Amino acid sequence: MTQTDILSSEQEDLRLLRESARTLFERAGGSDRARKLRDAGGGFDAEMVRELAEAGVFGVAVPEDQGGLGMGLAAGGVIAEEVGRVIAPEPVVLTIGLSLGLLRRLCPAHPKMAQLIGGEISLAVAWQERGPDGALADATCRYADGKLTGGKAWVVGAIGSLGFLVVAEGDDGPVLVLAEADADGLVIDKRAQADGSSLGELSFSGTPAVELASGGAVPTALAEAVADATALAAAELVGLSERAFEITLDYIKTREQFDKPIGSFQVIQHRAVDLNVICEVAQAGVREALAQMDSETDPKVRAPIASRAKARAVTAAKRITRDAIQLHGAVGYTDEFDIGLYLNRALVLSAWLGDDAYHRRIWFEAREAEGAAQ
Amino acid sequence: MTDWNAISDVEFRKEVRQFFEAEYPEELRHLPHRPKFAEIEHWHRKLHAKGWVAPAWPAEFGGMGLNAAKLLIFYEEQQRWGVNRGRDMGVQMVGPLIIKFGTQEQKDYWLPRILSCEDIWCQGYSEPGAGSDLANLRTRAEIDGDDFVINGQKIWTTMAHDATHIFMLVRTDPDAPKKQQGISFLLAPMNQPGVDVRTITTLSGETEFCEVFFDNARTPRENLVGELNKGWTMAKALLSFERIFIGSPSLAQNALGQLESFARGRGAFDDPVFRDRFAQAALDVEDHAALYARFADQLKRGETLGADVSMLKIWVTECFQRITELMIEAAGPDGGSIGPLQVGNVSVDVLSSFYKARPTTIYGGSNEIQRNILSKAVLGLPG
Repeated sequence: MTQTDILSSEQEDLRLLRESARTLFERAGGSDRARKLRDAGGGFDAEMVRELAEAGVFGVAVPEDQGGLGMGLAAGGVIAEEVGRVIAPEPVVLTIGLSLGLLRRLCPAHPKMAQLIGGEISLAVAWQERGPDGALADATCRYADGKLTGGKAWVVGAIGSLGFLVVAEGDDGPVLVLAEADADGLVIDKRAQADGSSLGELSFSGTPAVELASGGAVPTALAEAVADATALAAAELVGLSERAFEITLDYIKTREQFDKPIGSFQVIQHRAVDLNVICEVAQAGVREALAQMDSETDPKVRAPIASRAKARAVTAAKRITRDAIQLHGAVGYTDEFDIGLYLNRALVLSAWLGDDAYHRRIWFEAREAEGAAQ
Repeated sequence: MTDWNAISDVEFRKEVRQFFEAEYPEELRHLPHRPKFAEIEHWHRKLHAKGWVAPAWPAEFGGMGLNAAKLLIFYEEQQRWGVNRGRDMGVQMVGPLIIKFGTQEQKDYWLPRILSCEDIWCQGYSEPGAGSDLANLRTRAEIDGDDFVINGQKIWTTMAHDATHIFMLVRTDPDAPKKQQGISFLLAPMNQPGVDVRTITTLSGETEFCEVFFDNARTPRENLVGELNKGWTMAKALLSFERIFIGSPSLAQNALGQLESFARGRGAFDDPVFRDRFAQAALDVEDHAALYARFADQLKRGETLGADVSMLKIWVTECFQRITELMIEAAGPDGGSIGPLQVGNVSVDVLSSFYKARPTTIYGGSNEIQRNILSKAVLGLPG
């Protein structure tokens, strides 16, 4: 087999994966499903999670010898794009990137791995903390004698998860522990998000938890998992942007004013082209970044690649969803039209794990550090 | 004769790189202006002796016969080393036109003269009333015995004052029902009484553009290329490779490298606002390169590129402009100074980069025209 053959057979695998994920989501009701779930109070559909698991979605980036498909982050990105296209609220990126990303690096033999891959459970990951001024602060949450004390903030998937993977300070350095959602002394505050989902603020007072891993490997694995999730969130934003653009394109072809489709006016056409170009650049950049992350092992190299992806995807998604509202005109400002769901989801995904300005800074600092090292 | 396509991409790149690095005259690297032929003649002789004047032409006509993948590598290396393209209108445009549509006599006569630069070509397309709306061209060519007689005016004719011949689109049937019909491709000698060339001074003070006036100029009837009145379709067919080449990342990449060394020397990176704008520009270039690679892969697989390839040109030229604008910002009070600015051991001509970036959104089909094309051909928007 030549290198080109290997490349194209990989491409073929990804194409098939994309098709099956798209069919699955479309059959389940596409973006209408997202609206129904939001109107029902947020959360996700456990049955859908099981169907996704049957299709191999959650284990896609887990190595084969750990019970996954071993297809890498690029395949995870394919799925995340499809999730983004139908703004599905299921914890796909959360599971592939964060919870499985942590467990497969720290305790690959743990039985929760198989349950996550099998779609039987989902686990939220809690590592960041809020300071008195409301901004991100140094971690102070403690784990001692089997119990957690302190708090964690910005926990995605806090509602509907079986439990929390918490990164805390133990007696001998950092630990990863598992706390059940219904554990004693755990209070979960919900903060409603623009897309109908919730961010959890957790507070622990002597909350029982089981230690899964400890030592320097914990922060390393966390940083890797966060980089994976960041890049996958970028892919989700690419899928979202692509679909938001398609919806808008259909709209300007059919909406008539002055007895013509508004898409026949040159100013509208040029704006549409700009959005299309932005979308294609984002897709190419993010897909390339995910592929590069698969071929790199050094965390110092992988992290800025993830930042490049998220910076691009957020910039693109913000512009596309906001211009999409403008191109829809007044109806774009109503809840009735689907385009608003895309704007709201883009807001939430952009803020999660750092927006474009943040990631440009991270990317630039890494580039400077690399330059200084040479 | 070497079958370049049979060797690996890596080997080929190495060989091209070695040749440029060893043979290309240092003083001609990254020339800021378009040279007259005399200035680069000694380099052209070397290239000609090597058989590398026409990388894209089939080997039977004296070219290298490179496939799309190898061709991209060749151009990438050329740009990386700052190798001037020389007076390549003949090689880039006239040769492919004759190879595709010319008669055997035309091939035998013109192609070797293009390779040797015995004839130096300029392109006569645009006219005062036919820029973006090129099909509106009015320069007339009428049959008179064994000749065509040409009357009219061409403009923006690059380096016409240093050319021996012009290849031009002319109107041969003014009564055709559509303006795209009735246009033909003609070759004509410049050195004759009916042809008058005047240079145009650009914003940057260069005189590479010309106006060319035709007053009963003559060219033999055998200098018609292809069928009479079918020139428009032929001109469009010539543009296929040009459409990815014009969207290549190299201009923006080179400018970004210049911006970085200049800004570093000037301490501009101490400013967090500048840092962020630099990061934006750098990521714009990097992600464009990813999209370019996607189109290049399509070519390498032997697929034909669609109209969507135009988006490369839109993105990269506008990005190129932003980068040169950042250079001016980083120059501060020197932002209006002509000529190279010295920073440590680097010298950067800020204004020349800025000026160089301006016409990129105008030539090769202005970016507005590119947006019209994408809107209709790719997005399917009406009207």
